[in-house]
Amino acid sequence: MNYLLNKDNKRAFIVTTVFIFISVIVVLLSLNTGTLKISPLKIIQTFLGQGDFESSTVLFDYRMPRILITMLAGIGLGISGAILQGLSRNHLADPGILGLHAGAAFGLIIFVTYFHSMDKNIALFIPLFTFGGGALTALLIVLLAYDRYKGLLPIRLILVGIAISAGFSAITLFFSLRLNEETYSFASRWLVGNIWGRDWINVMALLPWILILAPFTWIKSKTLNALSLGDDIASGLGVSVEKNRILLLAAAVGLSCASVAMAGGIGFIGLVAPHLARRLVGTMYQHFLPLSGLIGLIILVLSDTIGRSIFQPNAIPAGIVVAAIGTPYFLYLLAKTK
Amino acid sequence: MKKKFIIFISFILMLMLSACGQNNSNTKTATGTEKENSEEPRIASLSIHLTNDLLALGITPVGSVIGGDLKDFLPHVKEQLKNTKKLGIVKDPDMEAILELKPSVIYLDKEFSGQDISKYEKIAPTHVFDLDEGTWRDHLLSIGKLVNQEKQAQQFIADYEKESKEVQALIKKKFGEDNKVMAIRITAKELRVFGTKRPMGPILFQDLGLKPANGIENIDKNQPFEVISQEVLPDFDADAIFVIVNRDDEAKTAFNELEKTAIWKGLKAVKENQVYLIPDQPWLDYSALGNKMAMDHAKEIFSK
Repeated sequence: MNYLLNKDNKRAFIVTTVFIFISVIVVLLSLNTGTLKISPLKIIQTFLGQGDFESSTVLFDYRMPRILITMLAGIGLGISGAILQGLSRNHLADPGILGLHAGAAFGLIIFVTYFHSMDKNIALFIPLFTFGGGALTALLIVLLAYDRYKGLLPIRLILVGIAISAGFSAITLFFSLRLNEETYSFASRWLVGNIWGRDWINVMALLPWILILAPFTWIKSKTLNALSLGDDIASGLGVSVEKNRILLLAAAVGLSCASVAMAGGIGFIGLVAPHLARRLVGTMYQHFLPLSGLIGLIILVLSDTIGRSIFQPNAIPAGIVVAAIGTPYFLYLLAKTK
Repeated sequence: MKKKFIIFISFILMLMLSACGQNNSNTKTATGTEKENSEEPRIASLSIHLTNDLLALGITPVGSVIGGDLKDFLPHVKEQLKNTKKLGIVKDPDMEAILELKPSVIYLDKEFSGQDISKYEKIAPTHVFDLDEGTWRDHLLSIGKLVNQEKQAQQFIADYEKESKEVQALIKKKFGEDNKVMAIRITAKELRVFGTKRPMGPILFQDLGLKPANGIENIDKNQPFEVISQEVLPDFDADAIFVIVNRDDEAKTAFNELEKTAIWKGLKAVKENQVYLIPDQPWLDYSALGNKMAMDHAKEIFSK
């Protein structure tokens, strides 16, 4: 037993290191992509503080904030998906499918309807509103999926999530029709997953959520392991099931809604990233949770880089690129689980 | 073995260093010659309308944003801008392209870029124009001042006023004093009626001297148009209607449908054959050049 765990540890360590390396390459690639051509050498020089005005402006003012947001959002979505899949004991769970994104969108629409000046500093409050919307959906889902005798029913969680998601999308659409053209076009581009945050203030709005919630989830790995075995076994292992479930659900909502607030309604990362991670390092949360975040980061940064480079001059929202890759994978999973 | 390796590495390093050196000297000479050649300011325009004000003065900006719906320069000036760098749409401009251009000055529209002025100022000196303040004449004159072409700007405006008087006379001959008009735009989804604000208000109700149809002046003065339903079209009781149909097929079908309705056929302007189809560009381009081209078009219409 001990020997097996050690072997798993070693494997997880190696795989994670490899993926950190891949992330670095992807981020460098993304930093290198843009209208202005800057050689990789010059990028390194600029980071060492020896770049000229042009390359340092491009890197630090234009590209870095956007890439950091994409990185953070990718991590947030990947980890959030991993938590939700464990809590619902269903490998098809994803913040988008569960309706959290629809709730976040609802929060955002409320925000732009009533405080609709898109002033720069207000960006800090957007995650709060999307979190509010997401938390409201999560609450509704939990209430509706709760069975007095059996507790929270994992299967019902997903079905109720889909229904709630449809309902919230309808309300969001209703509100967005009343917006003026400019805000409407912002909202509609946001819904398909357009990385709109381009400034350092947007990075600051997202950073604390990921920085606090991601390590928190990792600490809770053992609890997640227990919970994904089923409520009876988990309580048998000495985990207070209901309290931890609510706590972790809140963490998942926070991670996904804050990410979505800055990166737009991007689906499928929360589904795909934990899956791939689990395949690579097994089902122990302490092993695959960091990897899940890393894979989320790689997918989103790559998608955004593809979206803004290949289809020039008309950039395509990252969410659409992700969906183009994610949908076939999702269908494949569906077919396979049967 | 080890020695060989070290020699090999140092050789590569030397190559890299020398390559860097060359690069640097290349760029230096390039910018040097550029500066000598450019006596005219290198202007980057972050508004399609300011771009066309510049063109009216015979100045071609080195870079300009493109129309948001068209994803390209406006069709009536596309030819003149073929050497101009596209800077993306104004709501999401390509900052790197602007930086790469090394403009000597940047022109901004307060409405779209007002929040990001500091970003542009970092690249080059920046002038912000509030297009809602004054008319295109004021914008043209202030640009004229900036580029030392005040005379050309004044001349352009004088020519325009002269032409506007001619067209007004033509209109009077055709309509007499009864010339209450309205302008509508048909998009795929809705029917819009233009108010007295730019882009359509000033040219119709001032430059062409036409009278607004009933209710036009009640439209919110801060909005360029209002969305209406077909049923209220007769209430405007317009003697003539200017119609802009969007370029997409859905809008064209929508207009065909509208033309078939009893409401449309019963309109005074339709019965008297006073419906004028006008293209969205240059009519909706509220700039010196755009309005001048629209005026030319109006002259053509009413000379017949």
